[in-house]
Amino acid sequence: MCEHDQCTSHAGQKPDMRPVYPKAGSYPHFAKLVDTQKAQVDRKVFHDQEIYEAELRQIFGRAWLFLAHESQIPEPGDFLRTYMGEDNVIVVRQRDRSVNAFLNSCPHRGNRVCMVDAGKKARGFICNYHGWSFGIDGGLRGTDGKVYDSDATFDKGSIGLTPVAQIASYKGLIFATFDPDAPSLEEFLGDFTWYLDVMLDNDEGGTEFIGGAIKSVIDCNWKFPAENFVGDILHAFWTHQSGAQAILGGGVDLGARYDELAFQASVYGHGIETNLDKVGNTRTLGYPELVDYVFSRQKAMADRLGEVRARMVGAVSSATVFPNFSFLPGQATFRVWHPRGPDKIELVVWTLVNKNMPEHIKELYRKGVMMTFSPAGVFEMDDGENWEYSTRVNQGFVTRQQPLHYALGVGTRDDSRDLPGIIHKGSLNDANQRLFYTRWAEFMRFDNWHDLQNGETAPPQRMAQRQAAE
Amino acid sequence: MMADALDMVRICDLSEIGEEILKVSLEGHKPLGVTCLDGIYYVFPDTCPHANESLSKGWIEDGRVVCPVHFAEFELGNGAVHNGPSGCARLTFYECEARIDGLYARLTS
Ligand code: FES
Ligand code: FES
Ligand SMILES: [Fe+2]
Repeated sequence: MCEHDQCTSHAGQKPDMRPVYPKAGSYPHFAKLVDTQKAQVDRKVFHDQEIYEAELRQIFGRAWLFLAHESQIPEPGDFLRTYMGEDNVIVVRQRDRSVNAFLNSCPHRGNRVCMVDAGKKARGFICNYHGWSFGIDGGLRGTDGKVYDSDATFDKGSIGLTPVAQIASYKGLIFATFDPDAPSLEEFLGDFTWYLDVMLDNDEGGTEFIGGAIKSVIDCNWKFPAENFVGDILHAFWTHQSGAQAILGGGVDLGARYDELAFQASVYGHGIETNLDKVGNTRTLGYPELVDYVFSRQKAMADRLGEVRARMVGAVSSATVFPNFSFLPGQATFRVWHPRGPDKIELVVWTLVNKNMPEHIKELYRKGVMMTFSPAGVFEMDDGENWEYSTRVNQGFVTRQQPLHYALGVGTRDDSRDLPGIIHKGSLNDANQRLFYTRWAEFMRFDNWHDLQNGETAPPQRMAQRQAAE
Repeated sequence: MMADALDMVRICDLSEIGEEILKVSLEGHKPLGVTCLDGIYYVFPDTCPHANESLSKGWIEDGRVVCPVHFAEFELGNGAVHNGPSGCARLTFYECEARIDGLYARLTS
């Protein structure tokens, strides 16, 4: 816009109110903070404000981010408010039953147009400041005060809430991206959908979130919980040992066939570690009836997903979809670690169940998750404090120059198993965490999706295809 | 009585009127909203008394006209406001009559 009074070229013209989707840049000096050769991650990535700003641009401005489960907004007008990075968005079911999402900011002076967390059958969203009113399709419906009636430059049709660039669902989970050039959601998830199906498709009836969302704030960098869930079962033996003792009357157990079965899989930085022990995670919820239930479904699940994935449903296992959406198979807790600066997150947690589960089983999952992985839960408490200190210590100037060790399991790559993704042997391994940070570095370095989807973190088949083509 | 009836203006064909709000523009008059609920016809200004937005872009819900902009609700028949922004006046309803050749209404100012 022209700011000089003497410039009249814009006089009488309509302002350009089209949405702006920021372009990515390239930050090779930040990418270098992840040293794959030495298996080291520079602590600046947990502390530095400039790096954090680059993350918002490079990662949260481009990646597909989890928004909601379809079951949370079943009817037209049903909506909820969430975040993509630090950007507040409204997710709302449209009259044609599709779902769309919009920045929760009025195009007039920027005020929030939706203040509540969630609601049913919204007619629209009215801004509190000057009364501009938006439909559930984001379009500006009208204003207040009749003053715009006589303004010829005022074009209601060209003004609205900014929609996300792309939105899509994978088996009930809704994701969106601010990048019009991003590949499809399925391409972004790649082969990792094979592992998502363990939770999303082990029953023909599909899944739902139950019991609302539980929110909390943890003073840690968002990458600590994300890397923990992507592949850190190691901590369970120390961090969670006393909690496990209390609930199970015994320690954390990865199953008798660990050496043969346990593995980590990684695709584009998304990762899962699992021990294929059938019920280890479910057992920690503290209800023997749930364990029996998972056992009773082994045959049906194997018919649907095959033997290996049937063993994953209740197993000791954890997973992260890059960058900040994580879940625990077996415990049925799904969560997003929303970044709030380099040293804070807002954590939102839901419980996922199969729609077809008997009501009392759903209820046991809900209570079990509450007792283990909620702000007051035994295990969540254990984790949070560790992540807070891992973050806070880096305020020490000398401390943050010191190396961190990410080298467990270097040399354990296993190409012999017929599983999708980059496979490493044993779940007690830093492999997925190294690949998570490798993905992070790819997002810092590359300004385009071709490079992003064909780097070191790409699944092996993809790399093979590409090499064959070249 | 006879003379009054002559003042009535023909609005539209009955067949055009449904449960949605039909917008009718007549020469020499402000645009109108027309609807029918349970066999009773209603004619009112299309312009919302609150901030001039078009009521025909709204809808009928629970016997009320709902403005699509700030969601003021006007009772069909008496025009009483519910849920309206502060200062929102009631909606005028014109006396109307279904005749064989269409809907007629007395469009007072
Ligand atoms: S800021 Fe929303 S109407 Fe002015
Ligand atoms: S314009 Fe109808 S309620 Fe505001
Ligand atoms: Fe943990």
